[in-house]
Amino acid sequence: MTTTTAPAPAPVSSTLSGVSFGGILVSEWIKLRSLRSTVWCYIILIVISIGLSPLMAFAFSSGVQPGVEPDFDTAQSIAAQVATASIGFSQLVVSVLGALVITGEYSTGMIRSTLSAVPKRLPALFGKAAVFAVVTFIVGFVALLVGLLVAIPVLGNGDIPVDLTDGALWLSIAGGAAYLALIGLFSLAIGAIIRNSAGGIAAALGAILVLPTIVSVFAVISMQEWVGNLNNLLPSNAGARMYTYPVEMLQDQFIVGTQLEPWQGALVLLVWTAALFLLASVLLKRRDA
Amino acid sequence: MIEATGLTKQYGPKTAVDDISFTVRPGQVTGFLGPNGAGKSTTMRMIVGLDRPTSGRVTVNGKQYADHHAPLREVGVLLDAKAVHTGRSALNHLLAVGATHGIGRKRVDEVIALTGLQSVANKRVGGFSLGMGQRLGLAAALLGDPATLVLDEPVNGLDPEGVMWVRQLTRHLAAEGRTVLLSSHLMSEMAQTADHIIVLGRGRVIADAPVGDIVATSTGTAVTVRTPDAARLTALLATAEATVTSTAPDLLIVNGLTAPRIGELAAAERIVLHELTPTVGSLEDAYMQLTADDVEYHAGGIPTSQEAAR
Repeated sequence: MTTTTAPAPAPVSSTLSGVSFGGILVSEWIKLRSLRSTVWCYIILIVISIGLSPLMAFAFSSGVQPGVEPDFDTAQSIAAQVATASIGFSQLVVSVLGALVITGEYSTGMIRSTLSAVPKRLPALFGKAAVFAVVTFIVGFVALLVGLLVAIPVLGNGDIPVDLTDGALWLSIAGGAAYLALIGLFSLAIGAIIRNSAGGIAAALGAILVLPTIVSVFAVISMQEWVGNLNNLLPSNAGARMYTYPVEMLQDQFIVGTQLEPWQGALVLLVWTAALFLLASVLLKRRDA
Repeated sequence: MIEATGLTKQYGPKTAVDDISFTVRPGQVTGFLGPNGAGKSTTMRMIVGLDRPTSGRVTVNGKQYADHHAPLREVGVLLDAKAVHTGRSALNHLLAVGATHGIGRKRVDEVIALTGLQSVANKRVGGFSLGMGQRLGLAAALLGDPATLVLDEPVNGLDPEGVMWVRQLTRHLAAEGRTVLLSSHLMSEMAQTADHIIVLGRGRVIADAPVGDIVATSTGTAVTVRTPDAARLTALLATAEATVTSTAPDLLIVNGLTAPRIGELAAAERIVLHELTPTVGSLEDAYMQLTADDVEYHAGGIPTSQEAAR
């Protein structure tokens, strides 16, 4: 055994780059785009929008009396509903993807590489969330818009004119894309808390699909104002207000309680998501990876 | 330089690491040796902050791992070959890990070449053999060109050529003045790679010394003596406080005295010796002796044919 007396490497110079939030964003972007499952989920978002929007348009145009052109608000409201027709499905896709983005790291062990590279941990979670939200918003926006553009000729056949210069219509589409991004983040936070793919997906879908069904049935049966208000405050119900075209609609007989404004709906979903992220952050800091 | 003081980790009622303190110095390969469940991996995970110590602390170059400006440039870590998303290619994995520190394609290509992963860099990690996974783990550990390396069972799953390569790589890294801590439960591996050994058993440090000392102190150095006058020599050596065991009428194994001393004593009493051979215990023996009482999971006895037939 020989003892080597080579000089120790110089201490890490501050000129060499360290962990930066920008670097974490680049890292998370590489991770997101380099998995086939992510790419497929985003393709599915666009495909179901192109499929469902024209179908919805066809349903609307066949319901309109021939020769009777609907008024501006009604036509634009129909356009918004056609554009966002796919959200019922795409929210499920985004929710599964959101949970998988984080639970996939736990199930494969990747999380240990991630957290050794970013030992402060929280920047890794927030970087991941930021990249996922931005990409989901952009893909969601493109999907909804392409769906609407494909559906406009179908609406035209049914004498329903669509005015694309209407800011409120664009706001509904942007609201739909923002809803998808937020519901994705909501699921990502649940995934970060549960750390298991099957459990994370089940919990997220339960909160988005099953919970509203149970509460709304209960609201209709009981006809209690507070149950209706609770129902309106659930993540997916509150979030749905984000992509509703702002026009006075006939009060649905099944709606109990006060309807939220679109911005209020966005705020409620934001609060849900933020609360889950707070819990996820505390747990990420405390738990062993 | 890795310094642990009073490091303890409990998982519920089970104490995985029990109040251990040690120092890993630069310029040499330090081996973490111990049976399964001795706390080697847990200690290594605490060094890089993946597990939070129940009490005590461990620092790398004076700071806790997470407090470093550029952790990957301070410490390269290989914890297990599977800390990689199976759906991602080796290249993308390394690019993603490097990106956090602004480490780009150039360095990623360097470590891919260094670890011999060129031909599989674009393949998804899910299809990798254990050996290729280990190479990828080592590539990730070397990304930041760190002054300290923490490698948990780095030769696990490697073919003989790969084992040789890891051995040379770790020796080379230590010779460059880096701090290298590697764990293994293979004594033979340690004997060939490490300069200094920390033996763990049931979460405690059993021994912490240079390889040579561990071998010498724990087995002692036995001397084989062959003599036609075994009875007289046995009586003589017993008075000199040596331990004598006999395996054949003319053969004695003597512990507690050096070969020259035995020769001198025999000569003084005019006892004829036919053989006088010091035998150095192997690291393997030393290890078995050190950890005999500290093995967490004993293998069940092999069932007798009677039991097996039941």
